[in-house]
Amino acid sequence: MPEPALRLVGIEKHYGSTPAVAGIDLAVSEGEFVTLLGPSGCGKTTTLALVAGFFPATAGEIYLKGKPVADLPSFRRDIGVVFQDYALFPHMTAAQNVAFGLKMRKVPAPEMAKRVADALDLVQLNGLGERRPLQMSGGQRQRVALARALVINPTVLLLDEPLSNLDLKLREEMRVEIVGIQRRLGITTVFVTHDQSEALVMSDRIAVMNAGRIEQIGDPADIYERPATRFVAEFIGRMNLIAGVVTADRRVRTSGGVELPADVPQDLPAGAAVHIAVRPERARLVRERPAQALALQATVRQVFYLGATREVRLDLAGGERGVVETPNDGTAPNYAAGDVVWLTASIGDCRILAAR
Amino acid sequence: MNGRRAFARWRATAAPWALLRAFVIFVYVFSLGPILITAAVSFNASNRSFFPPRGFSLRWWERAVAPEWMDSLLFSLKLGSLTALLGTLLALPLAFALYRYRFRGRQALLALTLGPLMMPTLVTGVGLLQLLQSLGWREYLGFTGLLIGHVVICMPFAVRTVSVSLQTLPPNLELAAASLGANRLATMRHVVFPLIKTGLMAGAVFAFIHSFTDVNLSIFLARPGETPITVKILGFLEFGFAPTLAAVSVITLLLPLVLVAIVQRVSGLGDFLYGERNRA
Amino acid sequence: MSYAAWQNRIPAHWLLVFVPATVLLVFFVLPNALLLSASFQKSQAQQLTAEITLDNYRFLFTRSLYLEVFARTFIVGFSVGVLDVLLGYPLAYFLVRTQSRWKGLLIALSLAPLLASVVVRTYGWYIILNRFGFANDVLLGLGIIEDRVPFMPSTGAIIVGLAHALLPYTVLTIMGSLNGINPHFESAAMSLGANRVRTFLHVVLPLSLPGIVGGFLLVFSIAISAYATPAILGGPATQVAATAIYNFIIQLLDWSLGAALAVVLIVSSLLLLYAAGRAGARRATV
Repeated sequence: MPEPALRLVGIEKHYGSTPAVAGIDLAVSEGEFVTLLGPSGCGKTTTLALVAGFFPATAGEIYLKGKPVADLPSFRRDIGVVFQDYALFPHMTAAQNVAFGLKMRKVPAPEMAKRVADALDLVQLNGLGERRPLQMSGGQRQRVALARALVINPTVLLLDEPLSNLDLKLREEMRVEIVGIQRRLGITTVFVTHDQSEALVMSDRIAVMNAGRIEQIGDPADIYERPATRFVAEFIGRMNLIAGVVTADRRVRTSGGVELPADVPQDLPAGAAVHIAVRPERARLVRERPAQALALQATVRQVFYLGATREVRLDLAGGERGVVETPNDGTAPNYAAGDVVWLTASIGDCRILAAR
Repeated sequence: MNGRRAFARWRATAAPWALLRAFVIFVYVFSLGPILITAAVSFNASNRSFFPPRGFSLRWWERAVAPEWMDSLLFSLKLGSLTALLGTLLALPLAFALYRYRFRGRQALLALTLGPLMMPTLVTGVGLLQLLQSLGWREYLGFTGLLIGHVVICMPFAVRTVSVSLQTLPPNLELAAASLGANRLATMRHVVFPLIKTGLMAGAVFAFIHSFTDVNLSIFLARPGETPITVKILGFLEFGFAPTLAAVSVITLLLPLVLVAIVQRVSGLGDFLYGERNRA
Repeated sequence: MSYAAWQNRIPAHWLLVFVPATVLLVFFVLPNALLLSASFQKSQAQQLTAEITLDNYRFLFTRSLYLEVFARTFIVGFSVGVLDVLLGYPLAYFLVRTQSRWKGLLIALSLAPLLASVVVRTYGWYIILNRFGFANDVLLGLGIIEDRVPFMPSTGAIIVGLAHALLPYTVLTIMGSLNGINPHFESAAMSLGANRVRTFLHVVLPLSLPGIVGGFLLVFSIAISAYATPAILGGPATQVAATAIYNFIIQLLDWSLGAALAVVLIVSSLLLLYAAGRAGARRATV
């Protein structure tokens, strides 16, 4: 197996007694786009900063193309960083900003000029090299920041929530562009964001982080359709969670008495408190008690019309809240507040998660 | 009827402002009047400080630019420039240490640095005189003693202006430079220093002006022949108020004014001026 | 490059801090320490002896001549503070609120007097206030007085001169305070029915109080250590602390008393500045 471009082994960062990063193991293959996704405070930006070398880790090792770099300060690591606020040097033109990394590497002038021009071209800013950051729009500054990090051909490209300062439309455009550039150059990338749709769209793999640890790592479909923990299930998209208990014969019994022959993970013993997790778009509502094993009685609380879909909010018999998304394809019946219905889903669409 | 209502409306909203404006004019007259009067007096034809001036003459100005006063002016200029240079140089390490790092003695160092601003400069002057005398270094009174005293009281200005520049420096800029391969020295050279240039300039200008206009400290450390122009003017005031003094005073006012105007044009001192504090 | 070196440990170039720090210690702290010690030493034949005594302070606080000097110094300081707040507040308010395109120039004009040495500024007042000066000429001409009035040397003249010299400080401090007030407050008050005057009295004035108090205390502290203005506009009969110190040290060569007086001045000054800082005068400064 070829050496991964970036490998983190047991990375920890403690501030006093508070652990910001509590033990991260991660291997990123050459050319892969990995996203660190999580809420603020989960340690994703700290992890990125550790890889960049802005401060030393409390414990653990970092390997860039097999070479241990944890002892090296940032300017000795072969990395490129795009900051959330772009961090463009205000006293230099865009071209000078982009050239900075090359200047530090003592690249001769003619080659430097060519590479700068190519980089600006790559981010579609050709002709704007002589402008200063203050004279540019947010989107343009972002592209300069990207060009500056890419022109030096780093082993790993690190992006710290680079799109959060852009307005929605620009954000969606840039997502696609960044991925396009990344694929074209084949550059190993670690992307940090709290925006799950960004993560789903852009990544080869997503590492969902919480409280300084990686809770789950996998490709977008894995993360979305097979969340391993309650946190991951709730963080990405929305999830219906129905409380239950593992029975002796490896079934799950809900408080309403429903017994589900669902696939209970090995590590959950009989008697363990669990949740049955069903995505709103995989659940269905019917008027009569369904034949399927998962049949929960519910009362419709509110219906939201969202154009392409309808969102039905329910109060379940067991006391939980439920959400079902029904497509607006003309076939599904329209429910109204107060209706008594049955929520159902196929066993395959149910995941059993430990109730933490 | 219409007119009365309109007047009432005017009175309710505009009158307070009109009154304010009138008062402000009075304050400006109070503030700038004496200075303009001094300037006017310098053109008096006769040997008395009459205002309004009687007659017009430039002879006091001739005297003002004669060596007797010019030497003193040059002395003050030399003193001020050297103070600005040394003060800014010494201020740099202090500003960096105080405003970028957290360390145990920081509060103490901050108090030490800003101390000369808090103490009356008069007292600093007295203290320095005592120090020089008790060490037996009387020959250092005059230029050297003045230079030391001025550097001590002017350095804090430079520390403050440089620190303002430092604090407005986005921290990510240095991280960005590091991530691109710049070590500490290169980051200082290419990123930090170009961006604190305004603070340095402002510090140097304030240090110069503070030194140039100082009286309270200089009266204790001056020596005949090595006297800043402000102290010299003060000395002559005791004897009488010949219009020559008026002319010299105007020159000492114009100099800092022109300096500030030039620097403002060149590098925009406006924001620093806002937060500045000088001493009488 | 070692691990420790880039871990925010103190790099070598830090040693540079020791140069200015030493300069300050030797030429600022040490002199003040010497002054403090001299204030407790007895003087004999114009030389400091090693004898420790409280007599110097006792002398200052019991002789009516010096109590008068203290009283005058603090009265001057207080009056100058009050005057400068009264004059400076309207000007500061105007400068902050005006929409005139000359705003920048007007602000510069209000601060320009700071560029002139205090001597220069005071000279103008001499010309105005002396017996044969402008003020007398005008008053005589208008028939308000019969004989020339000696406006100076006097405590009043000192107060006027110092108020003039220190006005920019209150303007700066109060401007800083006013600028910190969210403009929406005034809009909110007006939307609730308060006219300009009442908005000012009930919203702006209370919120700018830190600037007022701070400015007052700042000017007070500078005024009590002023030398040039009292020297020019006052005389031997109207001494203040600064002129008395000069007198003791340069003319009488009495270091003990001079030092003691200087220490009293330092303590008063620091106390006032401390109070000013607490009141928020720092808002306008770094």
